Amino acid sequence: MSGIATAVDITLNSLVLGGVFLIVAVGLNIIYGLSRVMNLAHGSLYAIGAYTGYTIVSLGVNFFAALLLAPVIVGVMGLIIERIVIAPMRKRSMIYTLILTYGLMFFLDGLIKYSWGNEPRFVAIPAFMRETLSIFGTHYPVFRLATLATTAAVMIGLMLFLNKTRIGMILKAASTIPEMVSCLGINMNYVHIGAFILGCSLAGVAGIIAGPLTTIDPLMGHEMLISSFVVIVIGGLGSLRGAVFAALLIGIVQTLAEFFITDLAMVIVYMLMAVILAFMPRGLFGEGKFE
Amino acid sequence: MPNERTSLSPLKLIGLAALFISLSLLPFVWSNRFYISLITEIMIYGLLAMSLDVLLGYTGLLSFMHNAYLGIGAYVVGLFLIHVSPTSLWLACLIGIVVTGLIALPVGWIQVRTGGLAFALLTLAFGMMFYTIVWKWYGLTGGDDGLMGVPSPDIQVFGWSVGNAGNPTHMYLLTLFVVAIALVLTRRIIRSPFGAVLEAIRENEERAAFVGIAVRRYKLFGWVLACILAGTSGALFILYKGYIGPTTMSAFAGAGVLMMVLLGGLGTLWGPIIGAGIFIYIQDYISTMTEHWEIFLGLVVIFLVLFMPSGFVGLGNLFKRLRRS
Repeated sequence: MSGIATAVDITLNSLVLGGVFLIVAVGLNIIYGLSRVMNLAHGSLYAIGAYTGYTIVSLGVNFFAALLLAPVIVGVMGLIIERIVIAPMRKRSMIYTLILTYGLMFFLDGLIKYSWGNEPRFVAIPAFMRETLSIFGTHYPVFRLATLATTAAVMIGLMLFLNKTRIGMILKAASTIPEMVSCLGINMNYVHIGAFILGCSLAGVAGIIAGPLTTIDPLMGHEMLISSFVVIVIGGLGSLRGAVFAALLIGIVQTLAEFFITDLAMVIVYMLMAVILAFMPRGLFGEGKFE
Repeated sequence: MPNERTSLSPLKLIGLAALFISLSLLPFVWSNRFYISLITEIMIYGLLAMSLDVLLGYTGLLSFMHNAYLGIGAYVVGLFLIHVSPTSLWLACLIGIVVTGLIALPVGWIQVRTGGLAFALLTLAFGMMFYTIVWKWYGLTGGDDGLMGVPSPDIQVFGWSVGNAGNPTHMYLLTLFVVAIALVLTRRIIRSPFGAVLEAIRENEERAAFVGIAVRRYKLFGWVLACILAGTSGALFILYKGYIGPTTMSAFAGAGVLMMVLLGGLGTLWGPIIGAGIFIYIQDYISTMTEHWEIFLGLVVIFLVLFMPSGFVGLGNLFKRLRRS
């Protein structure tokens, strides 16, 4: 393979990886920005998205139907979780909520292992997506390009939703001055519920598009959780713009690191995070800028 | 004049001395090897849980993977015993603890700059980093297989050999002494003006800053103190087991430590040691019955946070208050 082909390969791979990070991290940031809840079970919900996608596809349903169905299922799980354990914690200290979602993470991981076992799973994708496309001499899988397109579509959709619709505007306002929004007669409870469901569904979307990229195993959620933390801490907690930038940055760095040194690639990512935070402790874009 | 914060009532003092003496006589009366080893493990994890309590209960900072620092301490001590000197126990422990502190210092420096929530997330990220390093650096740490063949040195006091770390009874006594000393010292530190500053930061960080406290610096001190204590427990761990693998440093094990603190009660120092006892006993019991220990652990953590945030010690205090009213 020529140098250009390799470069194109790496660039596209980093975009794909960064895109998955982005969807997960934005989901986390939406929940944090609107409810000030950092959901540590987010990675597990992402894994559940991948597993439900796998189950739906292996039942013989079309992959695209699964792409729509899995996020809905994860969203419903989010609703249940919010009502049962997150809502009672609203007035309590942030540390307790963190510990609670940490417990939730292990509970969900246990459920995953209980339902699907420890062996890795592979999602069957439609035949035409298994082809490769020739771009500058590299043969790039169509599925990865489709993933890239899906990521872009989800992000554009989300942006339009937040900026152009009434509900989106309410959510944005609620992230800045929740008191004012509730004075205007909007029930903040619904805002919290909505934010949680939206965030969880995004984790589900990320799960189902990431499933075919790698193998699905019970540990995939942990790795994604840590990576998305790195992304949102570098970008600034709750900052959507920061998440976009940081997700792409981490995608590139991780792909490059994996290309050059396979084993300790993640250490490079953590080092980068440490260096950025040493100089910009609030992240690149500052904390809590929900835009 | 006795200091109210640091002194204990004579009755409590006598009680604690009696407890310590009976614990140190225990292995000579009761020769069940299994339980002596179990109690040793409970004390080692109790020290780790106590160190997390210094951070969480007194400084108000959350560390998800405090077991990483137990791991660092254990690996350093183990590597020193294997590669440098297989006989010098105290030197190995000292180096293990100092190295843990030196690694914790820059990590803590970055963590305290970012504020409360990001601090907690970063403990997870850095913890995973140490876990990855230990897991993948096969040449140094043995990777998946763990660090094996750690020699058990003689325990020497002033040049006299009083026992061997490989002997369960001797190890039990060594652990008991170290944990007791650590508990007394930590209590002393926590009840000093320094500890009062940490509690002030936990209660209201902004106000503490306005009063003129260098919040970040004190948080960093609290962090390094907690990590040094965790490193101490790591040194005991490797001497007791003679082996350490990466699973000891995993996120799952970290949640266990957190659960010990919650079970025992935040901000009490001795509560988490009780919590460690309950946790290790339950774990021994449950994990033989079911392989889905994770579901159980998760449910218990959720239950504790929702309904029993101050742990068993908190329940005791609640009963006391109810009786008085």
